[in-house]
Amino acid sequence: MDRNQISKWFKNPGKMAHKYSFHAVYFCTGCGIIEIPPSITTRWDAERFGIIPVATPRHANLFLITGYVSTKTLKAIIRTYEQMPEPKYTVAFGSCPINGGMYYDSYNTIKQLDKYIPIDGYIAGCMPRPEAVFIGVTHLWKLIDMDKADGYKRYREDYALYRANQEQLFGELDWPPLFKNEKN
Amino acid sequence: MEILKQKLSSDFDGLNIHIPDDKRMIISIAKESILSLLSYLKNDGYEHLALISCNDWIDAGKLELIYILSAYMADDTHYQEKEKKSIIIKTKISRNTAKFITISNLFNSAEPYERELHEMFGIVFEGHPRLTPLMLEREYKIPPFRKDFDTQAYVDNTFGKIPSIQQQKEGLQ
Repeated sequence: MDRNQISKWFKNPGKMAHKYSFHAVYFCTGCGIIEIPPSITTRWDAERFGIIPVATPRHANLFLITGYVSTKTLKAIIRTYEQMPEPKYTVAFGSCPINGGMYYDSYNTIKQLDKYIPIDGYIAGCMPRPEAVFIGVTHLWKLIDMDKADGYKRYREDYALYRANQEQLFGELDWPPLFKNEKN
Repeated sequence: MEILKQKLSSDFDGLNIHIPDDKRMIISIAKESILSLLSYLKNDGYEHLALISCNDWIDAGKLELIYILSAYMADDTHYQEKEKKSIIIKTKISRNTAKFITISNLFNSAEPYERELHEMFGIVFEGHPRLTPLMLEREYKIPPFRKDFDTQAYVDNTFGKIPSIQQQKEGLQ
């Protein structure tokens, strides 16, 4: 362990603990899922960085969205995200969740994913290599240190806006709201 | 291939048979006799329906349905002839009415393909057991794989009109 991190451990042990033990659930959309098996297995070995894939979203605190999102999978992504316990962090891979990428004029691909769920970090590229995944994770550590990876707080605060966007896309949603917002 | 070509051209009228190489045979046929041709080929050993696809010829006002048949490898007398050979059957239907008969009685595997074509091209297959949505999440005015479906305008109207969270928060304040 790095010696100059000891003060951080004493200051906020809970944050440091979940920062160095990401339990990742990854959503197999698009081409990015090809990058996940070499990342988590022996060749690049994500466990060096404390990332472990888990079976269900209820055990996870890191959500990897690997590639483009179609309207049908967006429903599953929202439900997965809402099942994860807080604190939770979302990382989107590739250029497709940022602005549509090569599917900019597709009839059923979501163009900007952060209109529907909050995203803490993007890894640009088409498709990012496993090294880029780890660089993204180290950037996420910095963001957590600075308390800027606050996607789950924003989701709690602006839940009415997010839910309104989701309903504008889908019409009626067949699950109840996650948070009851008194303000709206 | 040549034997089959001779047999087909003696039994059917109005066939246009083209053999690009020794593994493919392309048959263009009028839409009325598609069922009899398919059942003829099925009895002849081409039992596997690999694909049903569709082309949209918007200038001619036609939708072109493409059926691809191939044979399972089996021990019969025509084994050498049929192995790894595919027969491509093309037929054109009107684009405006877009109605056709189902072949799911003949080939059971045609059912999901016909459902997909119903969604993507708006073709109504008469006699199909269930033409319910297969892949798409919602309704489109024009089926999305037709040529006159303007994807860019559709994207601007649906995804582009949803405001981002940041814009909305700035608007609220």
